[in-house]
Amino acid sequence: MSQTSTLPAGTPAAKRPIRALLGHPFAGVAMLLVFYLLLIAAFSALSPFFLTVKNLLSIGSNMAFIGLMAAAGTPLIVAGGLDLSVAAVAGISGVVVALCYAAGIDIWAACLIAVAAGGLIGAGNGALTNGLKLNPFIVTLGTMSIITGASLVLTGGLTQPLMIEGFNWIGSGRIGGSGGVPVPLIIMLVAFVLIWWMMAFTPFGRYIYASGGNPEASRMLGIPVDRTQVTLYILSGISGAIAGIIVAAMLGAAAPDSVGKHLLTVIAAIILGGTSLFGGRGSVWGTLLAVLILGTLNNGLTLMNVSSFWQDVTKGAVLLLAVGLDQLRVRSQA
Amino acid sequence: MPGTRILDMSGIGKAFGGVPVLADVAFHLDAGEVVALLGANGAGKSTLMKILSGNYTRDAGTVVVNGRTHALRTPADALALGIRMLPQELSVFADLMVAENIMIGGLPVKGAHVDRRAMTERAQALLKRMGLDWLSPGTRMGSLSHHVQRLVEIARALNGDARVLIMDEPTASLAADEVDMLFSIIRRLQAEGISVIYISHYLKEVFAISGRIVVLRDGRNAGDFVTGNTNVDEVLHAIVGNRVGDLYPPFAQGVEGAQDVVAVTGLTVPGWLRDVDFSVKRGTITGVHGLVGSGVEMIGRALFGAAPRAEARSVAIGGEPYRISTPGRAVAAGLGLVAAERKREGIVAMLSLRENMSVANMPLFTHGLHVDRTKEARTVGEWIKRLSIRARDAEQPIGTLSGGNQQKVCLARWLLGDLKALILEEPTRGVDVGARQEIYRQIRQLADEGLAILLISSDAEEVAGLADRSVALASGVVTQTFEQPTSASALMSAASKSAAA
Repeated sequence: MSQTSTLPAGTPAAKRPIRALLGHPFAGVAMLLVFYLLLIAAFSALSPFFLTVKNLLSIGSNMAFIGLMAAAGTPLIVAGGLDLSVAAVAGISGVVVALCYAAGIDIWAACLIAVAAGGLIGAGNGALTNGLKLNPFIVTLGTMSIITGASLVLTGGLTQPLMIEGFNWIGSGRIGGSGGVPVPLIIMLVAFVLIWWMMAFTPFGRYIYASGGNPEASRMLGIPVDRTQVTLYILSGISGAIAGIIVAAMLGAAAPDSVGKHLLTVIAAIILGGTSLFGGRGSVWGTLLAVLILGTLNNGLTLMNVSSFWQDVTKGAVLLLAVGLDQLRVRSQA
Repeated sequence: MPGTRILDMSGIGKAFGGVPVLADVAFHLDAGEVVALLGANGAGKSTLMKILSGNYTRDAGTVVVNGRTHALRTPADALALGIRMLPQELSVFADLMVAENIMIGGLPVKGAHVDRRAMTERAQALLKRMGLDWLSPGTRMGSLSHHVQRLVEIARALNGDARVLIMDEPTASLAADEVDMLFSIIRRLQAEGISVIYISHYLKEVFAISGRIVVLRDGRNAGDFVTGNTNVDEVLHAIVGNRVGDLYPPFAQGVEGAQDVVAVTGLTVPGWLRDVDFSVKRGTITGVHGLVGSGVEMIGRALFGAAPRAEARSVAIGGEPYRISTPGRAVAAGLGLVAAERKREGIVAMLSLRENMSVANMPLFTHGLHVDRTKEARTVGEWIKRLSIRARDAEQPIGTLSGGNQQKVCLARWLLGDLKALILEEPTRGVDVGARQEIYRQIRQLADEGLAILLISSDAEEVAGLADRSVALASGVVTQTFEQPTSASALMSAASKSAAA
């Protein structure tokens, strides 16, 4: 009886089982999981090289730097922010490491300097968006352009070699022998677990969802909306810096323009994973599945000798399809 | 023309989610007549006018316009019949010209282009009809003062064959001479045979401009007076009725001796409040009443640190001096605020009832670095039971609860913590009558348990029914302080003291 007053008349959940299922909180992630499994099944049938441990691990390893940035970008977007500069930060981070190392600084100290620089850039983004109340799209578009330009200026556009044994292990090492788990994949998974913990189990996590869901109401409740967002911008900057270090270690060189072009994949993964660009809704597991889907799609199509031009078309189409389906799902929930 | 029946609504009924808002309401209008439509908040005025303007469809009743029955299903239907409603909030295009603002609903075209000459001429003619010859149609809208923009909106409403003009609180933010100007425009339109439905809380204005006064109460007709043959008391009585007694719980005892929990002197918010003093006592409900625009909407949030540039000469909370700063500081000092605009400022619609209830008090549920989910669930469950919040479970998104249940969550979230004083802004706005009674009872119970409550409301009846002591505001200053429970009419007359003068 008590339900009649809370549910809109005419849409009892029991009468529409499909709608009820779609409306379930985990339906979005479940849909992605089904899609991921279908994708794996399809590529396994089409290519004999696809379904091998080696190939699946290499997908994970290749996507690690993107996954890292998407993991940190998820809580930021949930909290109502946006960081378009993250991939440019990754680009300059490799450059900073290379230049510091060339200047005689210890490689690990150089990495720390790069991470600190990433955090600082994040703090700058946070200060401009939250202090001056500027639109995050514009602010981070601006910092993206500045940072991209700065990396080219610093290097003269040239790739800086970084062949250092211990350092390269971060990018191409494996744990558990030569067939073991790639280090970048482990770094990414640790990041996902940490961010999941932060979002789901800490008071700060609550502030993330509340700030993005309704910033005005959150402020009226005394929730530190600005501090929450600035912290997440810093986190995003740091994730960009670490992603840049991974790429530099993997390539054995810092190429100033090596990561920037992957920005769209990062944002696409977050959105594909079910995070609302308007804030307040999203989960890091959705993002992880989306990263895997995008990586698998890339890998599978390559194995099938589909040109990379067509791969971009496919990626875009999958994104639009997923966002469209998700919109239907959210509407059925309302 | 005058004397011709232009509109006849009868037997009008409307319910929202099973809750009746209008029942068997009748309303009629003659050509060239100015009728004031009065009633307390929630009496059904706006709903009736939204039915007339095609924004709501009625559940029952007939609407006869110019002798013919009409279905009136969409705003377009109403517009075609010449029924025009002025929006409550200013809705203009600041960067367009006055002429464009007036003609925007049907710009004259020549080929593929806007016919600028025709547009300007027609806009000019409309302004002339209103006696606004001095206003050039080429002026940029944004460069005009607020009240002139309101007048341009009237010109826009007159565009086409307007027969009935609905004005909802048109003077809420106008100065006295601006009100006079509006009235002279209404009289001009009246002389042309245009009818005006005038909704206002300012009785003085109502008596100055209307020919007839129609009162609604709880969704029913409660009086129809010829303005010349009635008086303020009779109209107030019709608005308030006799039901005050059963809706509200009894007042507190021994209020005089209670100690001040919050004491404020010289509270000022530029443009809103000037040098306001008030106090909130332990175990009592202190009411603040004022009309919309009187500063009543700012007083609570100014204290809470959520109003721009709010200052006070002195504030003491629980005897300790306090400086107004941010909501975060106010919460730390033991204040809680339930905001009037619940959807915008009170809830995070997509989050669950549980999260909405606990989020302002996370330190209570934090164990080390983690949220203590067990303790959180237990506390939230207790408050759901205690305030009888009706929901599937604590995980239901709060946006899908009814207004009354959302409001209970907004109340409960402060009660979880160590609260000294609770500020309630318009606590029953958008809450149906049944839930309202329950909320009143719970507010009283909280006061009885020792909480100091500041009840801020533009509904005089609510303040009269609930507050042990109260303050009336008009134009940003305190016009009267009542140390005892008082009547709605005393509050209303104190609140409209300097409003139109």
